[in-house]
Amino acid sequence: MATFELQIVTPDGLMFSGEAESLLVRTVEGDLCVLPKHINLLTALGMGEAKVVADGKTRRAACIGGMLSVMDNKVKLVPTTFEWADEIDADRADKAKSEAEEKLSHRDRLTDHELAIAEAKLKRALVRRSVAGRKQ
Amino acid sequence: MKDIKLRIRSMESTKQITKAMEMVAASKLRRAQENVTRSRPYFEILFDTVCDIADSSPAFTSPYLEEREVKKTCYVVIAGDRGLAGGYNHNVLKLAEAEMAGKNVTVVPIGKRCVENFRAHGYEILTDAWAEAGGVSVSDCFTMARDLSDRFLGGEFDEVNIVYTNFVSILVQQPAIMRILPLHGTGSGEKHQSETVFEPESQELFARIVPEYVGGLIYGALCECIASEQGARRTAMDSATKNAEEMIDDLSLKYNRARQGAITQEITEIVAGSNT
Repeated sequence: MATFELQIVTPDGLMFSGEAESLLVRTVEGDLCVLPKHINLLTALGMGEAKVVADGKTRRAACIGGMLSVMDNKVKLVPTTFEWADEIDADRADKAKSEAEEKLSHRDRLTDHELAIAEAKLKRALVRRSVAGRKQ
Repeated sequence: MKDIKLRIRSMESTKQITKAMEMVAASKLRRAQENVTRSRPYFEILFDTVCDIADSSPAFTSPYLEEREVKKTCYVVIAGDRGLAGGYNHNVLKLAEAEMAGKNVTVVPIGKRCVENFRAHGYEILTDAWAEAGGVSVSDCFTMARDLSDRFLGGEFDEVNIVYTNFVSILVQQPAIMRILPLHGTGSGEKHQSETVFEPESQELFARIVPEYVGGLIYGALCECIASEQGARRTAMDSATKNAEEMIDDLSLKYNRARQGAITQEITEIVAGSNT
């Protein structure tokens, strides 16, 4: 099967480097699947699940923020957070979720900045939980 | 003889301190070094990708790409929180000040030493919210980046530079300056032939990507700086310990000589007394 060169890097290191058959990510405009010989593309990533198919195996991951660039059949995925499903600490995500909800429950006391942070935290926790296979 | 003894003792306690600091720096250095090696690919790919974009899109313009006449420059300067790290703080601050000389600047200092220095010299400080370099997290970098990008777009300054220390190896750290805004290509002039799709359209895309890019660069520079600081401190403390050892040897020699001299004199006196 045709493949393309895929690199996934985050501030925490190189998460994947090698040939892949397909890559599914959630961008700010919705889900996007990159297959070999994709047209050159640049887009910003949203928050959601990513799927990487390499060597016939599919791996899922939580992928948040950053950008995706496709240049001459070379794909570079540069998210701010990227965690493979089996590496996610689901209990921590649960805790983060309840903490964020707790904070948001009295939102009138928060400043705009704090509100934005709490909301972002909640969204991250939800993405992690869903990728880790927890019920919402 | 008594003073020599006292000096030896104080030297020994100094040596213990520098030795301990060296060990601490060495263990922190190991962690910081891992951090640098892990984050470097991110740093490089991010930089390359954005350079590619800047190169490949002659058709589109963005306020982030536009070179304005530089009326005011913003410098993000990263130095250490503590001293006793050899020339580490001095070198990076010296470079920053040489670069800023004669320009209209505003400074975002990171690290206590850095804040103190720029405040003492009367520079305009944009914010000192990040006084402690050790406590700056990834998300802080992104907050800072968003703030800087907004101000850049708002025309508060026309250029953003970052002054940091490159971690070349444990023994070599090189202070450096990097321009982060406006964006610039590699300058190779090599354009991509095929067309590139931008999604969402370029303005909005850039508004999303650029703060991320700036944040990533700041974070990368910060990792380099932390590793450099520990490296510099380790080297400085290592040589301080060696110096202390040398001084102790020297003083012990003097002490023993003085002691021997005193004993000899005493014996001579006794012998002379018994002879008469």
